[in-house]
Amino acid sequence: MSGLETIPVTVVTDEPLTQTGNMVPILNEIRHALSHPAETGESTTIDLGAIPFGPGEREELLATLGKGEIEATLHALGESLIHETAYPGVWIVTHRSPQGGELTTCIEVTRTPSLLSTPPADVSEAAAALKRYLQDHSARESA
Amino acid sequence: MTLLDFARGPALAWSLYILFFGSLLRLVGVLLARKHVDLSQPRNADTLGDSVRTVFTRFWFKPEFRASTLFITLIGYAMHIGLAVVVLLFVPHILFISKLSGLSWGGLPNDTIMLAGAITLAALVAMWVRRLQNPLMQAISNWEDHLALFITGLPVLTGMMAYGHLFQDYPTLLAIHILSVELLFVWFPFGKLFHAVMWIPTRFKLGAHFSRRGVKA
Amino acid sequence: MSDDKTLGERLRESGLSRRGFMKFCAATASMMALPPSMIPAIAAALEKARRPSVIWLSFQECTGYTESLTRSHSPTIESLIFDHISLDYHHTLQAAAGDGAEAARKAAMKENWGKYLLVVDGAIPQKDGRVYSAIAGMTNLEMLKEVAEGAAAVVAVGTCAAYGGLPKASPNPTGATYVSDLITDKPVLNVPSCPPIPVVISGTLAHYLTFGTLPELDHLGRPKAFYGQSIHDRCYRRPFYERGQFAETFDDEGARKGWCLYKLGCKGPVTYNACATTKWNEGTSFPIQSGHGCIGCSEPDFWDKGGFYEALSKGTFSSAEGIALAAGAGAAIGVAAAMGAKSRQTEADAKHKEDPA
Ligand code: SF4
Repeated sequence: MSGLETIPVTVVTDEPLTQTGNMVPILNEIRHALSHPAETGESTTIDLGAIPFGPGEREELLATLGKGEIEATLHALGESLIHETAYPGVWIVTHRSPQGGELTTCIEVTRTPSLLSTPPADVSEAAAALKRYLQDHSARESA
Repeated sequence: MTLLDFARGPALAWSLYILFFGSLLRLVGVLLARKHVDLSQPRNADTLGDSVRTVFTRFWFKPEFRASTLFITLIGYAMHIGLAVVVLLFVPHILFISKLSGLSWGGLPNDTIMLAGAITLAALVAMWVRRLQNPLMQAISNWEDHLALFITGLPVLTGMMAYGHLFQDYPTLLAIHILSVELLFVWFPFGKLFHAVMWIPTRFKLGAHFSRRGVKA
Repeated sequence: MSDDKTLGERLRESGLSRRGFMKFCAATASMMALPPSMIPAIAAALEKARRPSVIWLSFQECTGYTESLTRSHSPTIESLIFDHISLDYHHTLQAAAGDGAEAARKAAMKENWGKYLLVVDGAIPQKDGRVYSAIAGMTNLEMLKEVAEGAAAVVAVGTCAAYGGLPKASPNPTGATYVSDLITDKPVLNVPSCPPIPVVISGTLAHYLTFGTLPELDHLGRPKAFYGQSIHDRCYRRPFYERGQFAETFDDEGARKGWCLYKLGCKGPVTYNACATTKWNEGTSFPIQSGHGCIGCSEPDFWDKGGFYEALSKGTFSSAEGIALAAGAGAAIGVAAAMGAKSRQTEADAKHKEDPA
């Protein structure tokens, strides 16, 4: 007998969660931002780390946005997940550290998240690298 | 020590000492003062019933005075009820009062309190404008009447400013709000604001006086 | 020791891709509480950033700040930042000890004179010849003055260094004081909290590393990016405060429903910090979310602002006796005055009866 059972503990599972009511304003902001990519090509990023959420509220927001057709993983400094939501043009970008800890989660309203398009310098480096490979290759062939 | 620490600590303590010292001094002094010896023949010897009645009849004006007093009576009620709601039903205020009295009760949501505060302030401004413009009020007002309005309105104004974070950061505004309340505490026993305590004995006394002379009022 | 490579060069040498670098910049921006639109500017600045030398002095403190920092929840990002600063002296983290450690400090100071960043945690005792805390035969004040002289800027980490904290709490037996009280000829930046949120410490250092300048500060010397808003203004329990729904005890219905903790002593309305959004332990939670009111640890003298469980509006005075005494004195003088007046009147009446003329 530890006496622990004499402590009146009520386990509550179906209490309504605390709501900040921040979800609807964010959805409104997204809706507003969605008019930009089409008209001006301008994109909007919302850092979820800077917004107060009650327990479960962030998850609710992400669930509301849902999953779309595209999902991509970046392997650099740990994994980053980039996926389009059920609302095309609205992307979720989550950066993780190599240990798996979340670094940031952002909502990007854009046609293509910048991380997905190849940096121009990488493109020219790729061309050079491929050229080197082909030169080596033909050298080996002719040898 | 920040301004807020000063306001919440020593300033609060001393203003309360002065409030209670002054209030008791004045109340006891007035109540124990020797009765005025009236040598005239009383028209009515048993004045108790009339005295008690007067305490209540004065809550509303006689129909004859309607034209001249309706406006100020309504404004007066708006101000007093608004103030009572703000002082007695805002949860942080209730906590403060319960620390002093040990009593506690439920409060109202903040936007209701803000509305009451706005009504109180508007009514105070209306009262002041009337005092400045009405020739009769001009004639019977002295500096203390203006001061009393100012000292009453200041905590309401600063409280609402603190709530809305207007012009300054919240801790500074909160400190100014508390200091303005302390000013009210310190002034309260010594000026006309003491009517908040004296209205009952005063009306009672007036009732007795009129009753003795056979005046129905 | 510092060398001449920029951060961009170092990161590329370590094999980091351009996308990886952008990710690093995004995480850094978030850490510095800067809007995502600043990422390109951060990338440009980090590309060019040079390696600063940092000297870290610990005085009257509990090492909570170092504990907090080394448990940062984004170790890679922070280790990249820390790999990039040259931490030339730190009691707890350095390998060297004794004379070797002091020699390293002197060497770093000499080499980077006028350019290094001085980080201080802990308060500085001033009483009794400053005997209460000393390192290598020097009092804390001597060491602080010596190192601050050649520093570009001083960062006071933790409430003890920023405002005196626990050592300075009443009755302050060691006469403890804080950095900006003693160092007035250098920019001093405060990163208070007990302990500070790791991301706030590294975010502040990252800002210096990135832009080479100190971030914008509030009237208490704190970076506005992290301390610009009160806990209350960003608290997810705020709707309950507005509706007047409060937990009355720590285990009542209201507490379980997550209602506002104001009545239980929450100091959120007068406390400026990033806990409500940045949170602790990988963004898991923060005190209010765990059901305990804010104790106001990022504010000066928070130990002496009344009980942690006393509602803010109750004030800090505890003077039921004082009030009773004041009321009693008022009543007594009132009685005396009334009696005095009565007896004078009775005398006058008597005289009047004797001689009505
Ligand atoms: S819990 Fe504290 S910070 Fe949050 S709303 Fe209530 S008083 Fe404000």
